[in-house]
Amino acid sequence: VTIPEVMVRMGELAVSRDPAEMLVTIGLGSCIGLALIDRKREIAGLAHVMLPDSGKNAERGSAKFADTAVPALLEAMTAAGSPRSSLEAVLVGGAQMFARKSESVLDIGGRNEEATLAALERARVRVAAVETGGTKGRTIRVHVGQGSVTVREAGGSEFELHAGRFESVGA
Amino acid sequence: VSTHYTDLQLDALRELANIGSGTAATALSSMCGTSIDIDVPRAAALPLVEAIDSCGPADAEVTGVAVEVLGDMDATVLILFTEADSAALCGMLGVEAGTEMGLSALGEIGNVLAASYVGALGSLSGLELEPAPPQVVTDMLGAMVGSVLLATAASDDVALLLDSALTLEGAECSLSFLLVPTSEGVGRLLAGLGVAA
Repeated sequence: VTIPEVMVRMGELAVSRDPAEMLVTIGLGSCIGLALIDRKREIAGLAHVMLPDSGKNAERGSAKFADTAVPALLEAMTAAGSPRSSLEAVLVGGAQMFARKSESVLDIGGRNEEATLAALERARVRVAAVETGGTKGRTIRVHVGQGSVTVREAGGSEFELHAGRFESVGA
Repeated sequence: VSTHYTDLQLDALRELANIGSGTAATALSSMCGTSIDIDVPRAAALPLVEAIDSCGPADAEVTGVAVEVLGDMDATVLILFTEADSAALCGMLGVEAGTEMGLSALGEIGNVLAASYVGALGSLSGLELEPAPPQVVTDMLGAMVGSVLLATAASDDVALLLDSALTLEGAECSLSFLLVPTSEGVGRLLAGLGVAA
C-alpha cells in the first residue's frame, strides 16, 4: 500500500483531513516548510514559503511570503475545522546553501525563518519544533493521521522531528 | 510564458548564451584535452516552479558549482553535475569523485567555465562583469536551484534561465550550465546588446 503524498510546491499551500495522507515538500533550500498540525482532529496543513516579506505587492492568501502565508494557512486550517487554539507549528528549512556577496540578498533562509516565527507569534500559534538554518537542503513530510513530521537532509536518512500523537513511541 | 521579454530579446539572449557556452567549451576542452559538443542553448523566461522543474527531479542529489557575478550586472552561474557525471569528469582528471580533491577539481572546472562564459558575455555587451570565487555544494537539486533563483530572481514571478548543455566526447558525461541574472541585470544586458525594451 502506497501512502498518498500531496506535493506542496514553492509558493503553494495545502490542507488535508485525510489521516492516510502525507503532505510533502522536496528540496527546501532557503525556503521554509511551515506545518500546522491539529493532532486531535487529524488535520494538517503545509505551506512552502519562499521569501520573508510581501512588501507592497501583497497578494492576499499567497503562500509565497511569510507575512501572508501564515494567515493564509491559518485561514485554510480554520475552514477545514481546526480552531486556532488547537494548532501547533513546525518549521523546517531556511538554510543558506551558498554564501553571497550582494548585500540585497543576505541570508534569505534566516530572514524567512525570522519572519515566519514573527507571524506565528502575532497569530499566537505555539511552535512545537524547528529544524532550520545550516547549509543543507531538506525534505519535509507531514503525516496527517499521526500529526507527526519527518525530515531528511541531503545525504542523510529520514528522522522524526515531531512525534505527533504517539509521543511515547519515540523516534 | 515569456511575458517579460519579446521574441527578439530572447533570441538575442540565446545567441549570447551560444557564444558564451562556445567560449566556455573551448576553455574546458583545452583543460581536459577532449573535444566538447554544445547543444543549442535555451533562453526561457519561466515561472519559478517550472524553472526548477526544468532542471531535473527536485530530490536528485547533484554537485553544483555556483559562481556569483558582480559588477554592471548581478547574476549567478550554476553548473550542475550528476553523480555519474562527477565520477566521469573526475576520472578524466585523475582524481577521485566525492573526495575533497574531487570536489575541488569540479570547482576548478566550474571556475574555468564560468569565467570564460562571463568574459564572453562582458565583451559582447560592453558590461564590466566580475565573477566571484566558485562555491561547490553537493545537495538536493531542488534546494540548490531554488535557493539560487530566490537569491537572484527574488520576488519576480518569472526567472530567466540561459541553459546550455556541454557533452564531453568519450567521457559519457554532460553538464548543465545555468545563468540566472537579476531582472535589472537582464535589462542592462539587453541594453548592451541594443535590444532594450
